[in-house]
Amino acid sequence: MSDFQVKSDAVDVDAIMRQIRARIREKRGTDYTEAEVQELAKVKLEQFLDPKGVRSDLVAQFRRTRTISPAPPKYDFEDDTIYETHRGLLRTIRRLLNPILKLFLNPNPIAAALHVQARVNEEFHQRFRQREDMDPLYYELVHNLALEVTRLGIEVHNMKMRVESVSSRIDFDERRSRALETVVQYKQARPPQQQRPQPQRQQDQRPQEPRPQPQAMNAPTATAPVASAPVAAMSLTSPAGDSTGDAAAVPMPASGSAPAGDRGDRPDGEGERRRRRRRRRRRPGQNMGDQQAGAGGGADGNGDDAGDDSSADMGSDSGTGSDSGTGPDSGNDAQ
Amino acid sequence: MKIAIVVQRYGTEINGGAELHARYVAERLSRHASVEVLTTCAKDYLTWKNEWPSGEETVNGIRVRRFPVTRPRNTDDFGRRSALVFERQHSLADELAWLDSEGPKSPALIRHIEQVRDEFDFFLFFSARYYHAWHGARAVPGKAILVPTAERDPAVGLHLFGPVFRGVRALMYNSFEERDLIHGVSGNQAVPGVVVGVGSAIPERTQPWRFRKKFNVKRPFAIYIGRIDENKGCPALFDHFINYAANYPRGLDLILLGKAVIPIPSHPRIRAVGFVSEEDKFDALAAADLLVMPSQFESLSMVALEAWALGKPVLVNGACDVLRGQTLRANGGLCYESFEEFAEAMYCLEASGPIGAILGRQGREFFKRHYAWPVIEKKYLDMFDRLKRDSSVRPAEPWPGWWERRKRTLPPARQIVDKVPAGPVLR
Repeated sequence: MSDFQVKSDAVDVDAIMRQIRARIREKRGTDYTEAEVQELAKVKLEQFLDPKGVRSDLVAQFRRTRTISPAPPKYDFEDDTIYETHRGLLRTIRRLLNPILKLFLNPNPIAAALHVQARVNEEFHQRFRQREDMDPLYYELVHNLALEVTRLGIEVHNMKMRVESVSSRIDFDERRSRALETVVQYKQARPPQQQRPQPQRQQDQRPQEPRPQPQAMNAPTATAPVASAPVAAMSLTSPAGDSTGDAAAVPMPASGSAPAGDRGDRPDGEGERRRRRRRRRRRPGQNMGDQQAGAGGGADGNGDDAGDDSSADMGSDSGTGSDSGTGPDSGNDAQ
Repeated sequence: MKIAIVVQRYGTEINGGAELHARYVAERLSRHASVEVLTTCAKDYLTWKNEWPSGEETVNGIRVRRFPVTRPRNTDDFGRRSALVFERQHSLADELAWLDSEGPKSPALIRHIEQVRDEFDFFLFFSARYYHAWHGARAVPGKAILVPTAERDPAVGLHLFGPVFRGVRALMYNSFEERDLIHGVSGNQAVPGVVVGVGSAIPERTQPWRFRKKFNVKRPFAIYIGRIDENKGCPALFDHFINYAANYPRGLDLILLGKAVIPIPSHPRIRAVGFVSEEDKFDALAAADLLVMPSQFESLSMVALEAWALGKPVLVNGACDVLRGQTLRANGGLCYESFEEFAEAMYCLEASGPIGAILGRQGREFFKRHYAWPVIEKKYLDMFDRLKRDSSVRPAEPWPGWWERRKRTLPPARQIVDKVPAGPVLR
C-alpha cells in the first residue's frame, strides 16, 4: 500500500484523491474509468466478432436457417383508453357518464391491470427481439472461440515438441561441455613436459600427447576437487618408463630442502624416489625451468613450497599459503 | 413568533430522513418561538396507513396535531403513474394524479392549514415532493417556507413543482447541490434561500468500549449506518468490501447498523447488528475507524455529519453529487467510484493510517462551523427576520385551466432533471 504525503496538519481531500488515482493509474497502466474499460472491452469484442474473420460457412449456414419471430400484437392501454373513440362527442359523453358507470363497476383496476399487461408485453417483446439480434453475435463468438481454441491447441502441441527438443539438446551440450572441460585440464598439464631440458625425451613424448584416453571422458568435472586432477592426468598421460627419464632430468635439489644429515648418508635409490615423489606433486603448468629457477636461488625448499601451493591453488582445502605467486595461482584465484 | 412545522410523519419512532430533520428543527426552534407540528396519522412511508390517532399530543415538549390520511398508497397505481410522468410525455393532470397517488393524501390537514393561516407567522413545509407540502404551500403562499429535501431523482423535474418553488417565501436548502438542482429545474433564483442543513443530537460523551463489549467487537472496523437497502447502494458496498477483504486480510471489518431490507452476504468480516438505540449508534460510531456511505441519492447525509461531529472520517460514494460536494467542502473524508479507489481509501482512512485522524479532525471543525445547532438556529431565525422585514409577497402564478391541465404536452420529468448540470459544488 502507498504512503501518502501529508505535509502539514491540514489535508486537502482533492489532493489525496489525485494521489490515489495516480497510484491506481500506476498499478494498471492507464487510468480508465469503469465505463471506459467497458467501452474498450466492447470495442475489442466487436472487432473479434467481425464476420469477415470467420473462416467457415457455419455462420452463413446459421443465417440461412435463422428465422425471425413475428412481432406479437401490441396495444397501449391508458386510463382513458376505454373511453376513446374517433367521435369526439361520443368520447365526451362517455367521460361524462363515467360516474354513472362507476356506480355499477370500478373500471380502474381493469385499466391498471391492462396497462401493466401492455407494458409487460412490450418489455418482453423487446427483450426477445434483443435476444434474437444477439444470437448471430453469440454464434459467431462461439465459432471464433472454437477456432481460436483449436489453433491454440495445435500451437501448444508444437511448443511442447520444441521444448522437448531444446531440452534434449541442452542435455547433450552439457555432457559435451563436461568432456571438453576434462580435455582442457589435460592440456594445461602438458607444457611442463614439452619444456623439459632434454629434447630427446620431448620427441618421445610427442606422439602420445594429443591422445585422449577413454577414461578421460569420465574424469571429474571442473567443479570436482581438482587436487586429484594433476595426478589423474599424469597417470593417464605418462607412460611408466617416463618416470625414470624424468627423474634423470630433474636436477638435484639444493641444500636446505632436507636435513643436512640425511643428504650425504642417503643412498642414490632413496633420493631418486624422493625426487620422483616431488615430481608427482608438482603442479600442472609449472615446468622444470621454474623448479630449476627455484633451485638456482639456492632454496630447494621453494620447490616443495610451490608444489604445496599449487595443490592449494587448484582448489584443494589444504590451504598451505600462496608464497609462490605464480601465474597459475592467480588464474585459479580468478575462477 | 409562532411557527407551524408541516411534515408527512412525525414521532420519536422515526429516526431518519426528513421526518427526523423536522423533529430536530422543531425542538430547536421551540427555544426561540412557539412551535406546533401539523402532520398525518401515518407511520409507514410506503403505505401511509393511519397508525397514530388523530388529534393533539405532545412529543418531546412539542405540540403535535395529527390528521388522518384518506387512503393508503396503492403501490401499483403509484408505480404506473410514476412511469408515465417520469418517462413519457404527459399532462399536468397526470402529475396531479401522481401526487395524489403518492400521498399521504390528507385534505383535512390542508383545510386546517387554511383555517389557521392567520395564527402562525410562518409555515415550514418539509419534503416538497409530498401531497402536504404542495397543497399546503399553495394554501398559504405568503407564509410558506419550504425545506425541500430534494434529491436528484426525476420527481423534482415535475412541472407542478415549479410554481411552488417559485411561489413560497423562502427555501431552506440542505446542500449547495440541492440548491443548484432546484434552481436548474424551476428557475427560482429570485426566491430567498439559504443552505442550512441540519444539526444532530450529538451526545456529550460516547463510550466506544461499551459498544465493543456489548457486541463483542474486537477488530478495527468501518461502519455503515442506515437502512440496508439496494437504494442505499449496499449491494455495491458488499461487493467492494468482500473484494477488499480478500486483498487485505489485516484490513478493517465492516459493521452494519440498521434494518436489513436486502440479504446480507455471509462473510466473516461483515457483521450486521441490526437496529440499535441512539446511544449504541453513537458508541459504535465512536468505536469505528470510519463511516461508509455508499448511497448514490442523498440530499444531506445526517449520519455523515454525526460522524464528523465525533471526529470520524467518512468514505462516500463519489457518484452522489451531494455527498461528494459535502466531503470535499469539509475535507473530512474521501470518495470512491471504483473498487480500487475504495480499497485505497479504506487504507488511508484507517485509524492507524496516514490521514484518517486528520480528516476526522477537519470534519469535526467543518461540523462545528456549519452544522452546530447554534449556527443552524441562527440561519432559521435570520431568515424569519428577513422575511418579516420584507413583507412583499409575490403574486401567485396563474394556474392553468381545466383544458390546459389535460393537454399531454409536458416532457418527461427525467429529461428535465438530466438537463441540469450535475457534479459537486465546490466553494
